[in-house]
Amino acid sequence: MRLLALALLVSSAVAFAHHAYTAEFDTTKPVKVTGTVSKLEWSNPHIWIYLDVKDDKGNVTNWGFSASPPGMLTRRGITKNSIKQGDVLTISGHRAKDGSNNASGNIVTTADGKETWIGQDQAVNPTEKK
Amino acid sequence: MRARFLLLLAAAAVLSAQTAKIPRTPDGKPNFAGVWAGPAFTHVVGSGDTDTPRVTNFDRSKMAPFQPGAEAKFFQPPTGDPRHDDPTELCLPDGHPREALAPYAQQIVQTPDSIVFLYEYMHFFRFIPIGKAHPADVDLTFMGNSVAKWDGDTIVIDTIGLKEWTLSASNGWHSDALHTIERLRHLDPATVSYEITIDDPKIFTRPWSQQFQMKLHPTWSLLEQVCEENNRCQGGVCSSSK
Repeated sequence: MRLLALALLVSSAVAFAHHAYTAEFDTTKPVKVTGTVSKLEWSNPHIWIYLDVKDDKGNVTNWGFSASPPGMLTRRGITKNSIKQGDVLTISGHRAKDGSNNASGNIVTTADGKETWIGQDQAVNPTEKK
Repeated sequence: MRARFLLLLAAAAVLSAQTAKIPRTPDGKPNFAGVWAGPAFTHVVGSGDTDTPRVTNFDRSKMAPFQPGAEAKFFQPPTGDPRHDDPTELCLPDGHPREALAPYAQQIVQTPDSIVFLYEYMHFFRFIPIGKAHPADVDLTFMGNSVAKWDGDTIVIDTIGLKEWTLSASNGWHSDALHTIERLRHLDPATVSYEITIDDPKIFTRPWSQQFQMKLHPTWSLLEQVCEENNRCQGGVCSSSK
């Protein structure tokens, strides 16, 4: 898995990124789910990673996670080839304010437990604190 | 006394050697050409010529005191409307000097009579003549009107004509009287000191400055960054759903 070689880069800075984070995401609603990558939108102003998440009864829900822009990730060595369809990932962030199954994607964890910061320079949510 | 003199002499020799080694153009001026990680990077260069971008703002402790009543103009409270709270959500420009502090690469192209900044973020550019004066009647724009001059090995860029806009990503609003002075000089062949002076007499009681660094990345080239491509904030409403 391409993300494995990358160090965990966690910023505690609280600031606006390109888009005011709090306009789209509710920082009081942390979320952390595990699923299989169904799609990657490697586009500006922020990439989107979609996960198929299966619940205890086998029902599958598709979640979308908005992370950093392609350029900012590329400068850190994360490219569109770092995330592949079919990869099993755990992603944590904050839920969308519109009630959809969308969220910010702050930290991605691969199957072997390696974590990589992919977020928008926002405060990490409680499930992300070490 | 003698030891101190020798130490000073050694320090001067080191400084002189570093200065001598900086890249120069055929006319002997410092050469800033290349693709740089600007002030909004950590400048910890990793394998593969990586660097870490980080949203960067001006340091509140560096700022001068506010003019009477100006603090409220600068720190305008959020309204919930992204057109006010952060217009870049709608892909409006971040403008100067916020663009210089954007966590994206920037390329400098230099000729004997101009220095050009190509910013990756939103594809903005600044074409800056060297040795010329500002026009007499400058329209107010997002990037302003800039002219440059040499001060020894430092390029000094003077900018006026900026419309009232956000100073940096979360630092509030400057006025249309904003005047900036940027000073770029090499610290070594791959590192440049970037000092910017903020002179906004409608907001601050005196000019104030903050220094950053820029790091040259020889393997980088500018990437395309089209903000509107997949933007989820349309018409002033931000929704994570398409």
